[in-house]
Amino acid sequence: MRVANKTVYDMVKFDLARINEELNKAARVVTTGKRITDLSDDPVRLSEALNIKSVLSNLEQLGRNINMGRSWLATSESALSQVQDLISGTKALCVQMVNGTINAEQRAIAAKTVQNTLDEIVSLANTEVNGQYVFAGWKTDTVPFGQDGTYHGDSHAFVVKIGNDTTVEVGSDGEAVFGTLFTTVSDLKDALEGNDVGGISAAMTNLDNDFNHITTKISGIGSKMLRMDMKERIFQDYTINSTERLSEIEDADMAAAIIELQSRQLVYQAALASSAMVMKLSLVDFLI
Amino acid sequence: MLAEFWNLWHDLTNLPAGASERTALYEHGILLSRQFNSLEAELTKLETDLTSAVDVGVGRINEITREIADINTKIVGIEAAKVANDLMDKRTSLVSGLSEYIDVKTFQQSNGSLTIITAKGCVLVQGNDSYDLEMGGVTGDRVTWQSSGNAYVDLTDYLTKGKLGGWLAMRDEVIAKYKLDLNALAKELIWAINHQHSQGVGLHLFEPGSTLTGTYQTSTDLDGLDFGSQIQFIADGFKLWIEDRTDPANPVMNSVSVDLSGLNGSSSLSDLATAINTGLTGVTVGVSGDAITFTAGSDYAFGFSDDTSNILGAIGVNTFFQGAGAGSMGVNTVLNEKDYIAAAQIQADGSYASGDNTNALAIADLQYTSTGISQWTCDRINGNTEGTVTTTIEHYYHSMVSSIGITSASISRGRGFNEVMVNKLGEIRDTISAVSLDEEMTNLIKFQHAYTAAAKLISVSDDMLDKLLSTK
Repeated sequence: MRVANKTVYDMVKFDLARINEELNKAARVVTTGKRITDLSDDPVRLSEALNIKSVLSNLEQLGRNINMGRSWLATSESALSQVQDLISGTKALCVQMVNGTINAEQRAIAAKTVQNTLDEIVSLANTEVNGQYVFAGWKTDTVPFGQDGTYHGDSHAFVVKIGNDTTVEVGSDGEAVFGTLFTTVSDLKDALEGNDVGGISAAMTNLDNDFNHITTKISGIGSKMLRMDMKERIFQDYTINSTERLSEIEDADMAAAIIELQSRQLVYQAALASSAMVMKLSLVDFLI
Repeated sequence: MLAEFWNLWHDLTNLPAGASERTALYEHGILLSRQFNSLEAELTKLETDLTSAVDVGVGRINEITREIADINTKIVGIEAAKVANDLMDKRTSLVSGLSEYIDVKTFQQSNGSLTIITAKGCVLVQGNDSYDLEMGGVTGDRVTWQSSGNAYVDLTDYLTKGKLGGWLAMRDEVIAKYKLDLNALAKELIWAINHQHSQGVGLHLFEPGSTLTGTYQTSTDLDGLDFGSQIQFIADGFKLWIEDRTDPANPVMNSVSVDLSGLNGSSSLSDLATAINTGLTGVTVGVSGDAITFTAGSDYAFGFSDDTSNILGAIGVNTFFQGAGAGSMGVNTVLNEKDYIAAAQIQADGSYASGDNTNALAIADLQYTSTGISQWTCDRINGNTEGTVTTTIEHYYHSMVSSIGITSASISRGRGFNEVMVNKLGEIRDTISAVSLDEEMTNLIKFQHAYTAAAKLISVSDDMLDKLLSTK
């Protein structure tokens, strides 16, 4: 075939540009560490990568939600177990006070202790997380219990979202949680003040019932905590898997990328050398 | 952007009364809207840029065809006597320049003139005459050819080759598709969020004495609303809650169930206002500037719940976003007062509480919900066809990105292939017509030798003559 000079120059220009583009691409993979640097590099896997990224972002958010729920549950649990301690203490006091050797004056003093206990229970029942009352139902901005134990919250429960289709009640309807406790304690106080032994022993039975009632509530909270822990572990596994998958899609295999870059470099050098050689040659140079 | 938007709704469920959660959500809603706005603006700018490129291209084509017609005239004049090689070379190079821009077919006439036609058989050059292309159509972005008198042939959809074909395909097929898809995505996002948002209530009701104006307008009928097709004309349309605060110590919450069964798509906004107004105390519904208004009396506050008719979302009342597409999307200005972000819902007994996150949860759930979203196929010959894919909003967006990648990959591949083709063909042409220095040098030497030989002949004959003349 007849090869014109123009053809030689055109071919050199075209080939060098192409090789240079490939070299550049290989260099970009090495410098960014990413296999996909352009939308067009691998569109199908790119869409998968984007989906995984949004799953990861969602998982992270659900993790935050779980932590928020956990702090609600932990606060509720600690408040309730303190309430239980107070009930036990009050019951011990009752055992003492129901004794026939105790006189009215001593019972009146005990009544004061019971009043303090009641105040303490009310303040525990008004526990907050993040400025939100945990035992107020949805009325998380309203102090749920008055000094006498009257309830101002509502009968709903605050929920957090811990999965795509799972919510957990982490707040509570305070009235349902504390049941008759406030009545029991204030009745006990009245009985002590009134030196009413019958009333005191009735209160003992009631305190037992209230204690058991709160125990069931605490175990309810415990099982929710377990559920959250489980969810979190699942999410952690899922996060690790997704991150691995994402890295598989996106990240470059460095060894392969560097070898690729070197081979491109070699090709480019060879092309430059041969082009320089071919372009230099001309019959003109050999004629005087 | 989208993932973060959903996360902020989650954050709001964690602390529904939180001021910073509300502000973050509001600000991010604005950012997200701006992102959509600027994407749409960029696509539109690409379209205008391409149109002006086409315009310039048309100008260049007209110049070339005029020049060719001119050369035709000269060639016909000269050809009678001899072959006009130079002019024909020039014409060939002009034709090759022309075919860089547009589809051309050429026919050489017996008298040496060249006839050039383009798509749809429209003649660009015939004999001494050239026929111009023009930008025309309603918005001036179509390529037209004047056939006779004032009748124009619209060539836009039939130009497939050259720069013009490429630009037009890019504008009317590729960019047009992504613009339509982007708008479909924005529209779906706006509707999904708005529809759920309008079911809820903020931290407090809309205040006494305040006026709430719908964000969607129609000067004709309800079908004319951007989301008019979503409206269900049913008896229990929605509940309008009105709190009577005449006695501030004892506010009374009343609800009115609004009956829309008497209306249909051709009803006007005032018909709707009248229907809602029926039996209302304390709140007046009217129409102002083609939008609906709810105005509370001085002792009355109001809110909404249980909208099964979709009417609130359609008129843009108690909604999160405003606008109906990527370009017009924004956050409802009412939410400038962040307390109106509706995380809660009004209960059947009229109560609502700041710790209620029911509505925020429902909105956060929308990210997992698959809905039918329009997906477009744009073809210049067959027109734009609307299909539907059922997917989540986020996945739709991701597949859009991936589809852009696929298009761009196939364009690069096509370009690579065509470059090689052009190169190869050019090479073949050059083997015939281009200059090889080696060859020319060899020829040069050859002719030099011939010349030397001829000169030698002369000098020999000169010598001989000399000899002859000097013979005495």
